[in-house]
Amino acid sequence: MPGAGSALRCHAAGLAFALAATSLAAHAQGEKLRHIGQAKPGKTARAATSPAALRDGLAETRLVEVYRLTGEGRTREALAKAESLARDYPNFQLAQLALGDLLAARVRPLRQMGDVPAPVAGDAAAPRPAADVLGELRAESRQRTDALRARPPAGAVPAQFLEIAPRSRHAIAVDASRSRLYLFENTGKGLELVADYYASVGKLGIEKAVEGDQRTPLGIYYITSRLDAAKLSDFYGAGALPINYPSPLDLSRGKTGSGIWLHGTPPDQFSRAPLATDGCLALANPDLDRILRTVEPRTTPVVIARQLQWVQPQSLQPERQKFESVLDAWRAAKSRGDMQRLLAFYAPGFESYGKMPLADWSRGLEAEARALRGRELQLKDKSYLRWTDTADTMVVTFGEVAAGARTGPVKRQYWMRQGNQWQIFFEGVIG
Amino acid sequence: MKPVLRTLPRLLRWIALSAALGAPLAHADDYADITQLLRAGKPADALAKADQRLSANPRDPQLRFLRGVAQADSGKQAEAVTTFTRLTEDYPELPEPYNNLAVLYASQNQLDKARTALEMAIRTNPSYSTAHENLGDIYAKLASQAYNKALQLDGSNANSVRPKLALIRDLFSADGKAASASGARPAATAARPAAAPAPVPAPAAAPAPKVAAPTPAPTPAPAPTPAPALAPAPAPAPAPTPAASPAPAPAPAPAPSTANAPAAPAATAEKDVVRAVNAWASAWESQDMAGYLGAYDSSYAPGKQSRAAWEKERRDRIVGRAKINVSVNDLRVTVNGNKAQARFRQGYSSGSYNVNSRKTLDLVNHGGRWVIVRESTGG
Repeated sequence: MPGAGSALRCHAAGLAFALAATSLAAHAQGEKLRHIGQAKPGKTARAATSPAALRDGLAETRLVEVYRLTGEGRTREALAKAESLARDYPNFQLAQLALGDLLAARVRPLRQMGDVPAPVAGDAAAPRPAADVLGELRAESRQRTDALRARPPAGAVPAQFLEIAPRSRHAIAVDASRSRLYLFENTGKGLELVADYYASVGKLGIEKAVEGDQRTPLGIYYITSRLDAAKLSDFYGAGALPINYPSPLDLSRGKTGSGIWLHGTPPDQFSRAPLATDGCLALANPDLDRILRTVEPRTTPVVIARQLQWVQPQSLQPERQKFESVLDAWRAAKSRGDMQRLLAFYAPGFESYGKMPLADWSRGLEAEARALRGRELQLKDKSYLRWTDTADTMVVTFGEVAAGARTGPVKRQYWMRQGNQWQIFFEGVIG
Repeated sequence: MKPVLRTLPRLLRWIALSAALGAPLAHADDYADITQLLRAGKPADALAKADQRLSANPRDPQLRFLRGVAQADSGKQAEAVTTFTRLTEDYPELPEPYNNLAVLYASQNQLDKARTALEMAIRTNPSYSTAHENLGDIYAKLASQAYNKALQLDGSNANSVRPKLALIRDLFSADGKAASASGARPAATAARPAAAPAPVPAPAAAPAPKVAAPTPAPTPAPAPTPAPALAPAPAPAPAPTPAASPAPAPAPAPAPSTANAPAAPAATAEKDVVRAVNAWASAWESQDMAGYLGAYDSSYAPGKQSRAAWEKERRDRIVGRAKINVSVNDLRVTVNGNKAQARFRQGYSSGSYNVNSRKTLDLVNHGGRWVIVRESTGG
């Protein structure tokens, strides 16, 4: 990973680049995601990646080095490095842009980053107006350099990660305002940031609400599976990791749509514009490949936020303990088979899978309580992920093990705070 | 002055030179003939002639160079590439073959090779401005290719336009500047064998021509890098290695002594010349083409080009460039009647180019106005 961001400078100093990402905001409507049925049998997408492309994050590190040298006026070195970068990643458009600038600078002064001469920029034969592409590239460059400049404080974690069970060996957080995905390893000492990557979101930004709105959802999700590149269209590059949009919270809010994935990039594009997808998160293939090889389906949480709030883990301690006691009260009520007390934890609008209403769910609860026959329940591998928008919610995952038993079901609950009271509005067995 | 008029003094000059230095005419004749054929648009004949002469002098660099030009002109690109490549191998200190290799590569859209060759040309002679200008065109072309890739344009229109670079027509083009910028090309070429042995900093006027010449002081072409190997061995030379040892006794360099030439005319004339040179530089700098071209005598026609072609090329080179800076340093002017010579160090920069070279302008006084009749760089 590139180190101190303070050393970074955009290579056309003093210029204000057009910023696309601040407008990541608000409207909807769009088109359906069609991931299925695009597979080409027998294709091996990973074979297409060159050896140099295999190391995640490297292309960006090298690009930033080119920027740095350029900013320091060491244009010859910058040019040499831009050339080798463009050679190793010919489809990295920002590398080509930097190379073009550095070559052009040998002949004429540069007025701005991506100083493409008008005849090229105004190429009428282009499939898309070149000026649009140029604007996107400048935005991507800015997103990348800004994200590297504003590094998360050492040891900090996104505030959503109240508690991550050891069972979740990795976690992912996405800061849409920075077009950045952060990959954490859950070590014995807590979450450690191990890598972070530029990532593209929906064409129309974030806050997905309805199918086809070309927006990326915000919230707490989990990776549901791993899709091999060989079974997918080239468009998805190194492969894909679907997430569980719409989540129970999304469903409770009537959100629609499906098929939100983390995926790679097509062969002709190393990375895509900051706002480019139909709602998915798209990453450069080497980066996605690293994630693909690292994280585990089902236990890896993915937080997608408009803007991440970074906090020191110990500062989460009070909130964690507060919720811990709520959950423990639920556990105690269930252990005792105290149905009245137990049902008080469930919201009136509760639903489980298959839109099972609370009335039906409660019969199941009673059955479970009877089966316990007074044995104490233990909750293991607890994870609490807090999501606060117009509502304050908690996504809770744990293994429910009766005393004396060796295993039990893994359950996930969605809680919502009403005033001072936390209530469960969804519960289900996930494994 | 009309072309016809210009031929005579030129002829006189090189005869005088040859006579004075005792160089055989045969070679000079060959070069001139081949150059003439090339200029007449008969590259096949030029090639035949070069081949024929080369059978007698297989290593002669000038013949080989002209052969390469003839091959290029007759569309035998691959053969021309071979010819120039061999020249770069045998005479790595010569920038011209590298330049021409680059031109050929560029015409085949092998821009990286072209660039490498031009960088070699510049390495061998840092003030070789044709190579600089050609390299600038390559950079611009590579930049537009990179931009096309950045914007994912297929570039079918942009990429198909290949950069048109300046092919050097003459070895020892006397001229770090564009080949086009130097007048009296054939004379320079012809005079070359005799002048070659002159040691390094010798754009100094040879004394001999002064006798014969009603023309501007004929400056024998200064080789960009006057390596001894360049001197085509005169026929009777007892040289053990054909080309490597210059047979003619090293003529004592007439040193940069032109300064003490009789400065008969009043100091005002010198001032006028200084003013004319500065006006020329500032017109160039401010990309004022009328002023720039107007600084040259109407007789001024460089090399094999027509005046119009030269003007167009200069226009292409000057107009629309990034800001150009031209500086004139260590200017020394000698005036002799209505003729003058201005020698100085020229600083040229545009964009990230920054080239310093030695320049000599020969001027004549036409109706009270000093105008350039010859321009040469190098030394």
